[in-house]
Order: sequence, then structure tokens, then C-alpha cells
Amino acid sequence: MPVTFTFGEFLGARSVIGSTLAELGETHENLWVITPDIGATLVEFRDKFPERFLDVGLAEQASVGVAAGLAYDGNIPVVSGMLPFLSMRALEQIRTDVCYPNLPVKIIGTHGGLVGNGGSTHYAVEDLALMCALTNMTVTSIGDPLMVGEILRQSMAMQGPLYIRLAVGKKDKVLYEPGQHDIRIGKGIVARQGTDVTLFTHGTTVAQALDAADELEREGASVRVVDMFTLKPIDADLIAQCAEETGGRFVVLEDHLAYGGLASRVADVVADRGIHLTAFERLGIPQVYAGFGEDEQLRDKHGYGLSATVSALRRALAAR
Amino acid sequence: MGRTSPVTQERRSVEELEDLAFELRQKLLNLCGTYEGAVHIGGDLSSADIFTALFEYGLNVDPTNLANPTRDRFVLSKGHAAVAMYIAMAIKGFFSYDGIVDTYGQLDSAYGMHPCKVQLPGVEASTGSLGHGLPLAVGMAMGARGRGATHRVVTLMGDGETGEGSVWEAALVASSNKLGNLVAVIDRNRQLMTSFDEERVTLEPYTDKWAAFGWNVIHVDGHDMAALVEAIDSLPPTDSDKPTVIVAETVKGKGVDFMEHNLAWHAGSLGAADLERALAALEATRTKENV
Repeated sequence: MPVTFTFGEFLGARSVIGSTLAELGETHENLWVITPDIGATLVEFRDKFPERFLDVGLAEQASVGVAAGLAYDGNIPVVSGMLPFLSMRALEQIRTDVCYPNLPVKIIGTHGGLVGNGGSTHYAVEDLALMCALTNMTVTSIGDPLMVGEILRQSMAMQGPLYIRLAVGKKDKVLYEPGQHDIRIGKGIVARQGTDVTLFTHGTTVAQALDAADELEREGASVRVVDMFTLKPIDADLIAQCAEETGGRFVVLEDHLAYGGLASRVADVVADRGIHLTAFERLGIPQVYAGFGEDEQLRDKHGYGLSATVSALRRALAAR
Repeated sequence: MGRTSPVTQERRSVEELEDLAFELRQKLLNLCGTYEGAVHIGGDLSSADIFTALFEYGLNVDPTNLANPTRDRFVLSKGHAAVAMYIAMAIKGFFSYDGIVDTYGQLDSAYGMHPCKVQLPGVEASTGSLGHGLPLAVGMAMGARGRGATHRVVTLMGDGETGEGSVWEAALVASSNKLGNLVAVIDRNRQLMTSFDEERVTLEPYTDKWAAFGWNVIHVDGHDMAALVEAIDSLPPTDSDKPTVIVAETVKGKGVDFMEHNLAWHAGSLGAADLERALAALEATRTKENV
């Protein structure tokens, strides 16, 4: 069933995953869906293609190892689950069984960042650092629910592994109208034009970044928002271009450890290319186990909520 | 219809297979005598008869047609026995033995301590980290089932590596999905790197564990070629509904008396004197058998 939506409204990324996989199952007879007991949103695929749906039960290592075996056999396996477990419990299988032989296995999951109020066992906050370290891995983090479908479609033609990170995926703001941006893996999206400072972000915090830019606009500042949904390979040219066009002022905002995620990826490009910056601010999760609370409360508590973002932008704008 | 018996181009006799296993051990020792670094010689020797039975009898593989879609798939889960597999495959005609001996472990060689599919065509999966082969084999068997293929997927594990939780995760997935086209062979040499089985980790009752996980269990002497052949002959059809485990009782270092049951020979290298001694010990086993 096609997903209907309205720009600015909320939609579950999970339902987009479910319907997109069911659609892709028609055109790709070698598409398999594997899950370690997180199958509720995959019902449409399961019902249409029961012979290509595999729920391994609570066995993350097996889910990825079996997916690698299926890929060796010429299939396109998508492993869908919760990222705190897939990214850590099955890390070695992802690295050794999937990335080492460069197999076309997609890992897609939820609970990236301090989302879902499950406590620190259930937040994937180190996952992007881990995945970006893996040779052959392409790493994405997606905020706009409809983009998930687009990325899944594009991924069918990819040769190597892909990691797709989502928030809880039950209620996500539709950020972009279809066709508004050229969405391509490896290319950042300029979600909002601006000339004074660039705010880089990905995933759950794109919506917050756009709100912060609105607030700064009322103060007369022009904030460029870049949705850097592909962390690896990073769009280094866009980073260089933003440095040039927004006065060398960078703020990076992400729902991930402040060190090891997008901020570190951007800093690497800055260092490697010898880019001169006027300001560099990073907003993300500090080295704490975050505790309970609603998503917004946790972001505020840990220093990367909306007001902290606005303050960081002001600091960057004031830098000389 | 599933396949009921192994398909090989030529049906080798037990005597021929024993000779080939002897040749494998001899070549293995010679490689260890040539290469300066350590080779996992103990686990290579324990699995030499199994490798021979698989590549020369049980597996439907053809070195002249690597991409044949109906070939059996073999996954070496105990990746540290790569050398024994390379040599078994060389004897079968996949590679040249001289090519292995001349380059093993050297920069840019395709032959290294653990097998790499990307660098060595003919190898079905890149392995080495223990506990990974069974999940891979399960995926391959699921894929084969999914498209109605009738080949077998066979993996060789060490008994020590079945301490890895991922093995038992995959064991559950295999039996739950009724993968009768999957065979796990376990080289039960009862030694880990630094201890003997049962000393620190109790695997017994071992065959019961596999049976309890829903597997068809065959228990054999892993150095009795006739028994290995019989086990292969008795494999259920590939469209049957239970995966099979062949628990092969073996001796680490088998064939070289001073290496047998000896923790010092998990991995090692052979100097000229050791090589001569080892070859003589191996030769003595043949003389003994022939008497």
C-alpha cells in the first residue's frame, strides 16, 4: 500500500520501511528480510513473501551471520532490528562476515540516540562511531521518514553493506516534500539555505536544527542547515563549500556521542583539507549514561536541546 | 526432490581416501617445515581425514567450474585449519600445492593463516573468527531452500569453537527452519588452545546437546575413513527437515606421535630436525596400518 503523507505532519518511519520493503520484494526476487524479533512493522513483507522472511528470534549475531550467508548465496538481505543490539552485539558479524567480504547486507534499525525512554541499555549512542570505523560500510542516519523509503530503493543497486539509523520510527516529522531535494547516498542535503553559519546535523535532530534556524532568523541571522544523512562516505566537498560560504562558522548537532559521530567526521575533513574555521561548536551526548526521560527532556538535560543549539549558533556567530 | 547421496565425479574407495589423507598430512608437514612462522598444525592434523572425506568423497565440487550454481558449499568455520583445507583443495585440483608452499603467509599471497574468499576464488566464505561459520552456512542453506536448489551446505567447526554463543543461536535457527540441506561436521579433538576439553569447559553430553537442539546426530571416529564415508552416505536427503551434525571424534596432532594430545602443538613451526622426525612418525603410522 502506498504511504500517503502531508508535509510537516508526523509519520512513522517504520511504516515506510514496511511498505517499501513489501514494494521492493516485488521487483527484487532475491530480497530477504531478517529480524531478531522486531518484526511488527515487517508484517506486510512477511505476509507477501513468507519464504523470504526470517525471524531468528532473539539472536542478533545469528541475524547478521545468516544474512551474510544469504548474501553469499546471491541475495539482498535486509536485517531490521534495534540498533543498540545490532550495532554492538552483532558488531563482529557486521565487521567480519559482512564488511570484510563486502557483501550487500543492509542493517536498518531504530533507537539511534536518546530516544524511546528505554534507558541506556536501549539507546544506540556509539553506533555511528562504530559503523564509521568499518571498511566498506556506508553509514546513514535519517530523520525524514519518507527518505527512508528512498534510501532503501537506492540501496538495492549498492554492492557493499549499508547501515541505516533511525529514531524510534513511530512518529517522525516529514521534513521534505518529495522531489524538493536530490537525495543521493553520499551527498549532504542543504535543508535550508543560509550565509552566516552552517549547522550540520543528521537524523532525529534535523527538525530541531530547522527550528533553531527559524529562531536565529528572527534575530537577523542567516543559518544554513545541512542534513548530512550520509556520515560515510562524508560529503567533504559540501563541507569545504559551507566553510567558504558561511564565514567558516560551523555548528554540529547530533543525537550521538559528541565525539565519534558527525562532529568528528566534519572535524576530520577540516583537518585533512586544512580548512580555516572561525568557529566550531559541537552539540551531542556527553560521556554519560543518559537515564530516563522523554526525547526532548533528555536533549535539554544533556546540553544539545533547542535552546543549547540556539546558544551555540549565537556563539559561533559572535566569533571573530 | 532432494539429493539422497553424495554426487562425485568418481567414487573413491576407502583405501584411496586413506592414501589421500596420508598425502595431505605429508604435504602439511612439509609446508610447516618450509614456512618459518607458526602453523596451526594440531587442528590441521585432527581434521585431515575429514577434509579428505569431504573434498574427495562427500562434496559435489568441481575445481574446473567454481561458479557452478549446483555445487555444494563448504564453509570452514575453524578458519585456523586453512592450510589443511588449501592442501586438500590442491590435491583435489583447485590450486597447485607448490603455489601454496612457495607463497604461504607472504605479502600479497592469497594463502594465509585464515581463508579469504576475496583473495582466493574457490573458497566459499572468509572465516577465521570462531563461531561464525555456522550462521553463514545457515544463511547459504536458507538461500538454497528459498530457490529450490538441491545442493548441500557443509561447514566444519572445531569442538572448542562451539563454546561461542553464536553457534547455538545458529543451531536453533537451523532446526527451526528445518534445514535438511545443512551439515555441520565437528572436529571433536577435545583440545582448545591452552586446555583440554572438559578441563575448564564441559561440553559433554555433547551429542545430546545437538540432539536437544533439534539436530540429526551422527557420531563417528573422525580418523576411521570407512566410518566417515558411511556417515556421508547416511546423510538424509537435502529436502528432509532436520539439519545433521557429524560429531567426529579426533585426536589433535593425529599422525605424528609427539604432537598427539600435546598442547604445545596447537600451533608451531618445524625445523629441519623436527620435520624429519615428524615425517618419520607419520610414515610409521602407515607401516603400522599395513601390517
